[in-house]
Amino acid sequence: MSRVATESTRIAPEERLVNLVVALLATDQGLTKDTILTSVSGYREQSEAGAGKDALEKMFERDKENLRGLGVPIETIGDFADPDDLREARYRVPTSEYELPVDIDFTPAELAVLNLAGGVWSESSMSSQARSGLRKIRALGNEVDAPIIGYSPRINLREPAFAPLQRAIEQAREVEFDYLKAGDDTPGRRRVRPLALLEYEGRWHVYGFDRDQDAERTFLLSRIASSVQVTKRGFDPSLRDGAGDKALSGLHAVAARQQALLEVAPGTEAALRLSRRASDAEQGIRVPYVDVHVFADELASYGPEVRVVQPDELREQVIRRLERTLAAHTDGGPR
Amino acid sequence: MSDKPLLATDRAALILQLVPYLIGKGEVSLAEAADEFDVSEAQMRGMVEKLTVIGLPGDGGFWQMANDLFDIDWDLLDEHGVISITNTVGLERTPRLTAREAAALLAGLQLAATLPGVGDSGLVQGLLAKLARGASGVPAEVIVAPEAVDDVRVAVAAALRDGVAVSFTYKAPDAPVTTRTVDPVKVHIASGQWYLQGWCHLRQAMRTFHLDRVSDVRPTDIPIAHSGEHVPDLFEPSETDAVADLRIRAAVVPLLADYLDRSTVTGSGEVRTAQIRVADERSLKRVAARHAGDVEVQGPESARRAVAAWAEAGLDQYR
Repeated sequence: MSRVATESTRIAPEERLVNLVVALLATDQGLTKDTILTSVSGYREQSEAGAGKDALEKMFERDKENLRGLGVPIETIGDFADPDDLREARYRVPTSEYELPVDIDFTPAELAVLNLAGGVWSESSMSSQARSGLRKIRALGNEVDAPIIGYSPRINLREPAFAPLQRAIEQAREVEFDYLKAGDDTPGRRRVRPLALLEYEGRWHVYGFDRDQDAERTFLLSRIASSVQVTKRGFDPSLRDGAGDKALSGLHAVAARQQALLEVAPGTEAALRLSRRASDAEQGIRVPYVDVHVFADELASYGPEVRVVQPDELREQVIRRLERTLAAHTDGGPR
Repeated sequence: MSDKPLLATDRAALILQLVPYLIGKGEVSLAEAADEFDVSEAQMRGMVEKLTVIGLPGDGGFWQMANDLFDIDWDLLDEHGVISITNTVGLERTPRLTAREAAALLAGLQLAATLPGVGDSGLVQGLLAKLARGASGVPAEVIVAPEAVDDVRVAVAAALRDGVAVSFTYKAPDAPVTTRTVDPVKVHIASGQWYLQGWCHLRQAMRTFHLDRVSDVRPTDIPIAHSGEHVPDLFEPSETDAVADLRIRAAVVPLLADYLDRSTVTGSGEVRTAQIRVADERSLKRVAARHAGDVEVQGPESARRAVAAWAEAGLDQYR
């Protein structure tokens, strides 16, 4: 028994989209746009009801874009005589590119680790992406080991710049944004080819090629002072190859170059937290850091437990923070 | 599970995933399927009903035949709330991961790989390769830089696996050094910081310990006895907490999310106010100094004075 739609039923857009996928997967040689618009349910009813050809074609173009956004690989096979002429173009979805390859299977132990890995994103768009990916993998029906208990790893992602930057990396397109450089008071406009996103010491960075500096640079997402504009200017996608490793070694290099000389009071919170990252110096300890402002924030929180000996810039930043804290909490200050 | 409205494209994505899921399950209750797909049962029923009007194109303008459409066992659904797919016309195998789904899982795996006992095997490497091969597009590289896992972390993880208590020296900020014996229950890792949650034999209650403040870890042979107790969320406030009034510059509010999770931030414009609960009033001076001037402790008066004294003492070192 089946409940078939009657002609008067309005076809929901998701029905039309799924019908289109089913139709394009079922064909080897491809379907022309005309065939699709007159036979695939969702378009057919509108064709029959006398909808304009232009409107239907626009709808088809939109649907194609949306499905590609979902990762459905819609292929266009052009007219061999004239590849630019799309009137006779045929569309199809190659099964092998749509489906998870048949030789990919997951062991029970692998699935247990994936379940843990998929749960690390606390409330962010990445969290629903991870859940959706896991769902696809679980649908393979492989056995899963008992969940790994005892660990609750989390990655925080609160920066609104993350999503547009990720999209720009996927599409290999240049971005523009206002950036507040450490030590500057006003943000400057940056044109960047983004190549990789990187969480380092609990903070998100984007690594990319700075068009104005004409060199690779790493930017802290929390210092991006405007919305990220994804431009139409594309770049060579091969620039992305190995970008993650380059970004990571770049930050390690910065940390190796920038070492603060500090004196810490023994047995305090500052001593405990800093000594994990420190090496011994003749007078005090040396601690590597990446961003002078981020590090100054941390050092200010330790108050009298730490004294910055060098460098001067870090020392001044810490003093400035302590002065501002004092001013805000002194009578006559803000209330 | 949520009742959030979904866009048509999102609903289409779910239907594409639903078919292979239902085939894999054979029979599955509405409740279980709804849970798996993060939708309400009503939404799940709607998707399943929708599925039965989806199928292959009609031939030459004719209506689709019944076996050209997906179909389900309607009696089973109507009488028992159980979904069972009886006819399929495609979509049987699960779709590839999108670039973004793969990126989200790949980054999560990098973090999982740093956990003692999870990443030691070659398993994570194999998974990274499978995910990359199973994606429909090249994922944007999202790297989670590995943090050093020291002896303390390894020892705590081992005690957790072995189900025995650990004892260690603990130095909380502004408090004397104590020796603790703890039944480990959970290790939280957030923004690169590791916390152990467990039953503290000294305090006779669940406590959270920042692992940077832990030293001299020694496993014991005492089997854990309190793992069944309620485990509060990492930053969940308790009855004994102090209450403080803060003024916070709007731009800084997201940075204080952990503190503000369960408090109401009020006001609009440049400066907001919030009442927060903190386990130890003395920790406020550190929060205030970290956000120099952007976070102002208005009360209690003792905490406000402590912030000023803290900054003053810090500045004295440079005078």
